[in-house]
Amino acid sequence: MNVADTIAHHILDHDWGVTLGGLRVPVTTHSVTIFAVSVLMLIVLAWASRAHTSKAGRLLTTLLEEYVSFIRDGLVLPNMGAEGKGFLPYFCTLFLFILSVNLAGMIPEMKTATSNISVTAALALCSGGVILYSGLKYHGVIGFLKGFVPSGTPGWLVPLIFPLEVISTIIKVCVLAIRLFANMLSGHMVLICLLLIIFIVGKMSVFAGAGALIPAMGLEIFMTCLELLVAFLQAYVFTLLTAIFAGSVIHTH
Amino acid sequence: MEDLLKPDVGVTILTICNFLLLVYLLKKFAWNGIIGALEKRETQIATDKQQAQQAREEAQQLKAELDEKLNRVAEQAAQKMAEAVKTGEAQRDQLIAAAKEESQRMLEQARERIEAEKNHALADIRGEIVRTAILAAKKVAQEELNDASARASVERVLSELKNK
Repeated sequence: MNVADTIAHHILDHDWGVTLGGLRVPVTTHSVTIFAVSVLMLIVLAWASRAHTSKAGRLLTTLLEEYVSFIRDGLVLPNMGAEGKGFLPYFCTLFLFILSVNLAGMIPEMKTATSNISVTAALALCSGGVILYSGLKYHGVIGFLKGFVPSGTPGWLVPLIFPLEVISTIIKVCVLAIRLFANMLSGHMVLICLLLIIFIVGKMSVFAGAGALIPAMGLEIFMTCLELLVAFLQAYVFTLLTAIFAGSVIHTH
Repeated sequence: MEDLLKPDVGVTILTICNFLLLVYLLKKFAWNGIIGALEKRETQIATDKQQAQQAREEAQQLKAELDEKLNRVAEQAAQKMAEAVKTGEAQRDQLIAAAKEESQRMLEQARERIEAEKNHALADIRGEIVRTAILAAKKVAQEELNDASARASVERVLSELKNK
């Protein structure tokens, strides 16, 4: 048994090999998961926002209103100010989307798409777009570029500071992608490694493998609980950091 | 395993399109409705709160006004009560004085009447005495006077007087 191949098989994305007119269509396990989560979110949220008649509908609507209040009052308004109100639908979708995709990996036969750097890079690029748009919307091109130079910087330092600040902003966006990717990937790797302990030890001795079963499963359950926590935490961190970065370009120093 | 860090541009583009479309659709079909309802309710709560505050202030003002009125009414009542007591006392004194005067007057009248009645009776007695005396004198004059007959005449007159 090749451990690396087994881990890679469970974590890596699998292309379904769909082509259209000779061109590759990126239909992969992760993109299908993302699509499924998106459709589910769309159906549930669209229904919940209109379901005022049934008791369950009202409960769900109340929950959604609380969720929107949490995103608005806990993340967007404190970091972006009143200017962030227009971006509220984006942040509401972002948090719930990342959380749903993170949790999707817990469902058998589904994959955690956020353990794919391509997916987290896409989300980070979207957030980068929001940060850029916020800066351009409230300060214009010149004002946005001026925001990269802290006030009081001596003139001779500007050519040095400006590229550094631009690179810093780009790095912040890249770090968003890497943080989410690394956290979700590492959790899954640990889960698979814990499961593989049973088989590796079992290969040496069946009795030893059976003995390793209980501690390995105990650790597996613990790690799964930790993964649940990480799924929420990473969705929160990604959304919070996007709001902070967008707020920092709106309210420049 | 090295594929882990190799980005798939196709998946990235597809994810961006998928996510941005989801943001658009959710904004249109879910978030706008929820955010709208939330803001409407918050505005309603803020308005209700403001109205409640205003009503409370008005109630406090009304209470203060009513308290003031009540105090004024109490003061007026006390004042009127004092005036009534004073008036009552004055009327009582007046009534007592009038009663005293009336009783005095009635007493005076009674005295005057008694005096008049007494005088009238005395006048009657005097008249009667005079008449009797005249009658006696007449009798005496008409009869031959002797001691015995005079005495009998006088005793007869006196007995007549007694009988009257």
